[in-house]
Amino acid sequence: MARPIATLAAALIVVPLFAASAVAQSPAPAAPKPNQCAVPPDLIAADPTLPGLAKRLQDRQPVIIVAIGGASTAGVAAGSPANAYPQRLQEALARRHPGIPITVINKGIPRQTTREMIARFSADVLAAKPNLVIWETGTVDAVRGMEVDEFATALDDGISKLRAGGAAVMLVNMQFNPSLASVIDFGPYLDAIDRAADLDDVYLFDRYQIMRYWSDNGRFDLVDVPSGKQAALAGEIYRCLGETMADAIDRAAR
Amino acid sequence: MDVHAPVAAVVPTPARGEVRAERDLRLDFFRGLSLFFIFIDHVPGNVLAYATFHALAFSDAAEVFIFISGFTAALVYGRSLMRNGALLATAQIYRRVWQLYVAHIFLFVIFVAEVSYSVLVVHNAMYIEEMRVANFLETPHLAVIRALLLLFQPAFLDILPLYIVLLAGFPLVLMGLRVHRLLPFAVSATLYAATLFWGWTPHTYPAGAPWFFNPLAWQFLFVIGATAGFSRVTGVWPFPSGQWFRMLAIVVAGFCALVSLDWTIHWLYDPFPLVLAKQLWMHTLDKTDLAPLRLIDFLAIATTTMVFVRPGSGFLHGRWARPLIVCGQHSLYVFCLGIVLAVLGHFILSEFYDGVLMQAAVNLVGFAAMIGLAYLLEWYKLAARRVPDARAAAGVSE
Repeated sequence: MARPIATLAAALIVVPLFAASAVAQSPAPAAPKPNQCAVPPDLIAADPTLPGLAKRLQDRQPVIIVAIGGASTAGVAAGSPANAYPQRLQEALARRHPGIPITVINKGIPRQTTREMIARFSADVLAAKPNLVIWETGTVDAVRGMEVDEFATALDDGISKLRAGGAAVMLVNMQFNPSLASVIDFGPYLDAIDRAADLDDVYLFDRYQIMRYWSDNGRFDLVDVPSGKQAALAGEIYRCLGETMADAIDRAAR
Repeated sequence: MDVHAPVAAVVPTPARGEVRAERDLRLDFFRGLSLFFIFIDHVPGNVLAYATFHALAFSDAAEVFIFISGFTAALVYGRSLMRNGALLATAQIYRRVWQLYVAHIFLFVIFVAEVSYSVLVVHNAMYIEEMRVANFLETPHLAVIRALLLLFQPAFLDILPLYIVLLAGFPLVLMGLRVHRLLPFAVSATLYAATLFWGWTPHTYPAGAPWFFNPLAWQFLFVIGATAGFSRVTGVWPFPSGQWFRMLAIVVAGFCALVSLDWTIHWLYDPFPLVLAKQLWMHTLDKTDLAPLRLIDFLAIATTTMVFVRPGSGFLHGRWARPLIVCGQHSLYVFCLGIVLAVLGHFILSEFYDGVLMQAAVNLVGFAAMIGLAYLLEWYKLAARRVPDARAAAGVSE
């Protein structure tokens, strides 16, 4: 089997090198194991910025963030929402902005299409009067093979709706899945999210490329996980996503 | 019978008014090119995908493939219709439909192997939601029957079912063409407009997934191709061909090319300014229903191509055009091989390493295999024609 060998080689060669360089470059904040989560800066966009959020942080006002999405927002694979990335994001932001009450509300429900999520925007999202909405979507639409133009139209509608409700928006695209890409054609849907974000000037958190980076560089083996360790691995990845998302928010909210 | 056999072998004596011409190599060349682009676009994450037809147009290789398929179908079966009558022409068409159907089922089996492998290899609870696509493995009794009925079209297995349905309805188009050269065009345009207006979409398995290529919409492009191709049988060009029409086509194609190129550059390099995307991009997306903007751009490109690339253009006889032409002449087999290679290529890229060098290797090996198969088929065809025994054997085994 070439894969374990390649992974082992990557772990032996790439990780120590990268870890060394990461330590040398940035004395990271007191997050646990920051090196494992580190990604190159070009994977975290600097714009469009989030000026409203920046102002609230500057004025030390409370910040409310709602994360709406599917199974990977709900944290199903890690056992509970307590291990999901919204919780980790809240912890990371609290550590970076001590004294400011920052709440991240998790509204992930598995197996919903983009349209189904939009249908619960007013009750689940806007009712909380969020300053920022993190909208993770696309997986179910791609898996079910929904029409791409309808998916793009739905994204556009959803973004307008969230903005009309007074919230800034951060889109999150799909998880990187190294083995099913020829079975599920994520490409057109990833492109649609990319372009909707570009056209509507919405911040895109490129989870797909970030996870792909971790996988390619041997930080995590996403394919062959012993059954007893699957929840732990999911928890680790969600923690890294939360950390990286906090980086992204800090970079965009200035 | 090989439908791609040179015209001379099919029609010994031209009927009155029939245009006798050498085989139009442009059809083979562009069909071959579209096969390569389809292969490139089907390898996920392929960097070369930025250099395919779509970079300069709202439409892509699928439109080229379907249009030329309609054109050649009318050319070949139209001649047979005039010479042999409706019954034999229909039988010939259905023989082709059967070949396509068998090819589709073969690709489906390969797809099932790929999914089964992936599902058994991936052990990661994070992908439960994504693995649902594989849930037909839990209900094979439903999935296999639906695949046989062309109602289950997993990723990348979508264009053959379209082609099968279009060709199955093609005898009707031929009869219509014989009645009046624009009759099928009128009926087809009405069906296309009604499909867009009322949003008719046939659905597939699993429930709710549309046909990736809506045959009710795409039939229009196939029939446009057939209407144009039938002019090679009757000698009468059915569409406008005046100077103004050609100028309009060139302007439209040029405009769409500039806009598409701008988008391609912008989406590769963000600071590059983006024009008209807010207004137009959403309208170019609907590949399922063959969005009017895609159709108009494609027809403008086809007209422009006919203006600038003459049938006797020197480059068509050049050395580098030859492989594409041979591929275009054996399009069914090369197309199927391209899909299989794309699936294998993806497997290699995801399983081992997906750097640029590996991508280049996958592309090169894929091109070489497609060209190699086409040359093998060409050699076999010529050899079988030269040797009477082999010809008989080929007839039996085909």
